[in-house]
Amino acid sequence: MIAAFTAVVRKDLMLEARGGQSTTALVALSLLVLVVLVFAFDPGGGEQGRAAAAGALWVALVFSGMLGATRAIAAEHENGCIRALLLSPLDRAALYAAKLGAAFIFMALAEAAAIVLMVLFFNLQFDVRTMRLVPAVMLGALGFAALATLLAGISSRVRGGDLILPLLAVPMFVPALIAGVKASAMALGGAPLAELATWIKVLVAFDVMFVAAGYLLFEYVALEE
Amino acid sequence: MSAAPIEARALGKSYGISPVLRDVTFNVEAGQSVAIVGANGAGKSTLIRLLAGLAAPSAGAALLFGEPSRALAPALRRRLGLLSHQSMLYPNLTARENLEFFATLYEVENPEAAAREWLERVALGAAAGTRVRGFSRGTEQRLALARALIGRPDVLMLDEPFAALDAEGAAMTAALIREAMARGCAVLASAHSANTLADIGFAVHVLSRGRLVPAEYPGSPQGMVRPAAVRQVS
Amino acid sequence: MNGRAIRIGLGVLVLALMLAALYMVFVVVPTEADQGIVQRIFYFHVPCAWVAFASFALVAVAGIFYLWLGDQVWDDMGYAAAEVGTIFCGLVLITGSIWAKPIWGAWWTWDSRLTTTLILFLLYCGYLMLRSMAGDSEQGARFGAVVGIVAAIDVPIVIVSVRLWRTIHPAVLVTRQGGHGLEDPRMVATLLVALAAFTALFIWILCLRFVTLRMRTRLRTLAGSLAMAELADQP
Repeated sequence: MIAAFTAVVRKDLMLEARGGQSTTALVALSLLVLVVLVFAFDPGGGEQGRAAAAGALWVALVFSGMLGATRAIAAEHENGCIRALLLSPLDRAALYAAKLGAAFIFMALAEAAAIVLMVLFFNLQFDVRTMRLVPAVMLGALGFAALATLLAGISSRVRGGDLILPLLAVPMFVPALIAGVKASAMALGGAPLAELATWIKVLVAFDVMFVAAGYLLFEYVALEE
Repeated sequence: MSAAPIEARALGKSYGISPVLRDVTFNVEAGQSVAIVGANGAGKSTLIRLLAGLAAPSAGAALLFGEPSRALAPALRRRLGLLSHQSMLYPNLTARENLEFFATLYEVENPEAAAREWLERVALGAAAGTRVRGFSRGTEQRLALARALIGRPDVLMLDEPFAALDAEGAAMTAALIREAMARGCAVLASAHSANTLADIGFAVHVLSRGRLVPAEYPGSPQGMVRPAAVRQVS
Repeated sequence: MNGRAIRIGLGVLVLALMLAALYMVFVVVPTEADQGIVQRIFYFHVPCAWVAFASFALVAVAGIFYLWLGDQVWDDMGYAAAEVGTIFCGLVLITGSIWAKPIWGAWWTWDSRLTTTLILFLLYCGYLMLRSMAGDSEQGARFGAVVGIVAAIDVPIVIVSVRLWRTIHPAVLVTRQGGHGLEDPRMVATLLVALAAFTALFIWILCLRFVTLRMRTRLRTLAGSLAMAELADQP
């Protein structure tokens, strides 16, 4: 099944490279969100500015993540390809893992871009503090990808589903959001990684639970009709 | 005696209170071919979806190799090929990439070689590097047929296989179906008219408003079924 | 007939317990020193919270059994629990708000317990919205079960993370010193009676709702069979 899993991830990456526009859309949305929040908060420097920057980064993550998940699953419904995937011998859990992997890769790329934009817009520096953001952001992206891949499987099959995805994903993501924003704000304030440990642990726990839940439950979501 | 590759047992389906299929019973053995013929809305596509395991029956059983089609093990799913209304091909991948991808999913020995071989067989060798998005309906259908057959299935289901094809495409499709039958594949196809399918040796069952009906029934399409090719539903 | 007798009996029990609880809250229990009369709302607020969380767990358990066994009865139970739980969850938020205003001067405070309850309420609403949009189908039941299970897995992490985030909720049952905030034994007794009353109320309403959903399921099954039979009779 490794071959099939790799094939699906490769297929998603190929489609993306072929003008899938998902990564572009995610980066564009992150950019817009950050711009809006700069105007909304008019952050100065210092601790308040850093807190605003951390918050803005995670708002961008949530919104671009939802867009990415919706598009990823919509691409499979075009021409009924999702049906072909379900008819094939491909293990449902492997399909989930592949979709999650692809979603995470796109989100990670978009978040890297968002971090760069955040540094620019909020007048921060590209230094070790920015580096210390990366673990929290990557864990958050993984957790959100796990959550959104599972929920998008549901929302894509329900009429009016484009409301369902944010309505369910946002409250479920709150623990990771809290932990991520706190860890990011502390990192930007110069705290060493050791001090972020509690929040990182929450993020890891979140990721483990949701990847496992998605892996086990996806087969109930992926049935036709 | 092992189970028939395709079996419908008192199969029924209703959506809410709208009934679509009722008490459909028949089977298709290895090497046999059955055509389900009926007007629009008779339930042909629903029947195929139930047998392929894409929907759950409301009554009765849809069995593939003796197992409920809805909960098929991966090893059995590998032996099923489906051609449906939707092409189930990725528009932004090329013809070759689509076939290689599905060949990998169906655990084909050498996906690249198999893709090349099947592209030749459906006369799409020249279009191998073209994205499916640019294909005409008929060309797409030929590629979809290749996708259905590349895994060398033991059960082949075709939902209106001749619908969008020109004479050349139809001849190619007929040849490939005959070849699959010769290989021992059980073939089930649906169509509006039985002529083309009866010509290549299909047994014809008529579906009218969700039920299989005897072919001489007054309601069946006139002049579309050749009495010699018809078998009574038992 | 037997079921009906049980439901009426349960209703009478609920009435009795509620009257007892009301009596204790308004007559027996002494006014709390710091917060005054408003503190009495606590005896409604806490039991509602207990019911909301218990109901949530019930939705998840019912979901697990539905996915495992496939019997519609589990989905009916889960759906009933979600509906009832949402109402009690809403009551927690409203009573919490009414309590907060005189004490802290604000209608809403982002303290850990209220925040967690708000998240729970949003999850409940998401579940109900999903079920209403997915309609009366097997797919709707399956999706509901998945969402119920995932949400229940989420709640412990929500509790932990929100608590790490902040807390100004009055220490009720456990303080850092290990005591509980209720000094007077009459307060403890009142709380226990109120808990019993609300639990009984929850079970009663849940049963009523569950029975209604069972009837609806049975009706749907019959309608489906009738439709199939009609199809057979048509020429």
